[in-house]
Amino acid sequence: MSEAAAPDTIVVIDDDYAMRLSCSKILAKMGLRVEVFENGARGLEGVAELKPGLVVVDLKMPGISGLEVIARVHEIDPQIILVVITGYATIDTAVEAMKSGAYDFLPKPFSPDELRMIINRGLDRRRLALESQRAEVDRALLKRRFVTFVSHQLRTPLVAIHQYLDVLKHLDQTKDDPARRQEWIDRCLKRTEELQKLITDWLTLARVEGGTLMNERVEVDIKPIVSGILASYEEMAAAEQVSLETVWPDEALCVPGDRNCVNVLFDNLITNAIKYNKPGGKATVTGSLSGGEAIIAVADTGVGIPEKYRPFLFDEFFRIKGEGVKRTEGSGLGLHISKQIVSEMGGSIEVESQAGIGSTFRVRLPAWRAPAENTKMGSWQ
Amino acid sequence: MAARVLLIDDDRDFRVSVRSLLETRGYEVLEAGSGHEGLRQVLEHKPDVILLDVMMETSVEGYGVTHALKYGDEYAEHRHVPIFVVSSIEESPDERFPMSAEVEMIRPDGYFTKPLDIARFLEILEKAVS
Repeated sequence: MSEAAAPDTIVVIDDDYAMRLSCSKILAKMGLRVEVFENGARGLEGVAELKPGLVVVDLKMPGISGLEVIARVHEIDPQIILVVITGYATIDTAVEAMKSGAYDFLPKPFSPDELRMIINRGLDRRRLALESQRAEVDRALLKRRFVTFVSHQLRTPLVAIHQYLDVLKHLDQTKDDPARRQEWIDRCLKRTEELQKLITDWLTLARVEGGTLMNERVEVDIKPIVSGILASYEEMAAAEQVSLETVWPDEALCVPGDRNCVNVLFDNLITNAIKYNKPGGKATVTGSLSGGEAIIAVADTGVGIPEKYRPFLFDEFFRIKGEGVKRTEGSGLGLHISKQIVSEMGGSIEVESQAGIGSTFRVRLPAWRAPAENTKMGSWQ
Repeated sequence: MAARVLLIDDDRDFRVSVRSLLETRGYEVLEAGSGHEGLRQVLEHKPDVILLDVMMETSVEGYGVTHALKYGDEYAEHRHVPIFVVSSIEESPDERFPMSAEVEMIRPDGYFTKPLDIARFLEILEKAVS
């Protein structure tokens, strides 16, 4: 953590006093922290203590050899970058040094510029290596979290269903209560649907992330797709007492993309606008074409999304929980999937929300341009 | 008098089925959908035994309840109430927090995994309240 803020530390190990002095002057001028040591043994102690980002070591020294220093430094920390200094005569040794893990070598005599260049390159390399190591750790954590989360999400409805059925089996049959039995069967069906929806969402996500959902890039008119989605949710909207509206331009709203993806994208936004609404509320889809973009806004009249949650809205599995929050079932993946689809299509999605008034999700997608069939590519005359 | 069982679980369906099961066996059942609500019920209705889901999603909350019950001053008269942790993942706090000395402070009186093994569950529960 401290590495990011503090200047990089460089350790120079060389038996030649003049070399130590000039290296330390040049490196200090670069804003680096420099420590010099006159032999391998001391140098290694220094490395263990200072944990430098880069070590410059002379290959030919009395005592512990440069080659051995390389190996021992990497035992201390394999991420330390090693640059070896060598005379012309020992170029073979330099090659050997590279093989045993040195990053690069600097043949003597070298100019200050050459030293600076190689040090900067080495430090860049180290930063990249550290970043990718961090990213790897993040990925591993995310994967572990994903597995735990998914198994929990799958288990919860399964457990509920199992428990209903098992208790039904154990209940005294002579005191069977048909109404209760019916209610429990309905709940089991509901939870089964929930499981199916979860699995569908995960598959969609896996396909979007794997790039296989984006099968085609054809001209897709958003208007009929949205109308179809709205028609399929009429019943659900009526049950929630939410009215559905569209505000369309006269012309078609065409974008290049995959029909299936566009459908998933607006299906997610529209079901959210219905679910997170209030009785007597409205879900409105508004479309327009402007500046080469199709802009589609899906607005609800719900309670709004508190500002502190907005940065996380598009994260996978993110769901707002807490007092006063409407409990709805869902995978926590809808908006994450929508965002992935939008970015695959080269567009953007943003949210505006006001407490007590509602939220609007605005999608911008590059508009469809007719293939350049009429453009004169030359060669006609 | 019927023994009182407090069910703390965020899954309503799980509470509904377990409640019916327990009621047919003569228990009086209290329900809470969150840890906070559960603690409130403890003070108000003085249960004889507590079944607590550790609620993986908000991981600390479940064990936060055991901790509060065992160490919170306001729960002093309920310290003796047996707590059973119910979880869909077989994992004791020792496994979950392997490095924490505080595990001792939150160790419940027993564990059940979901879905419940009904015969074993009823047997252990009966012992706990007798």
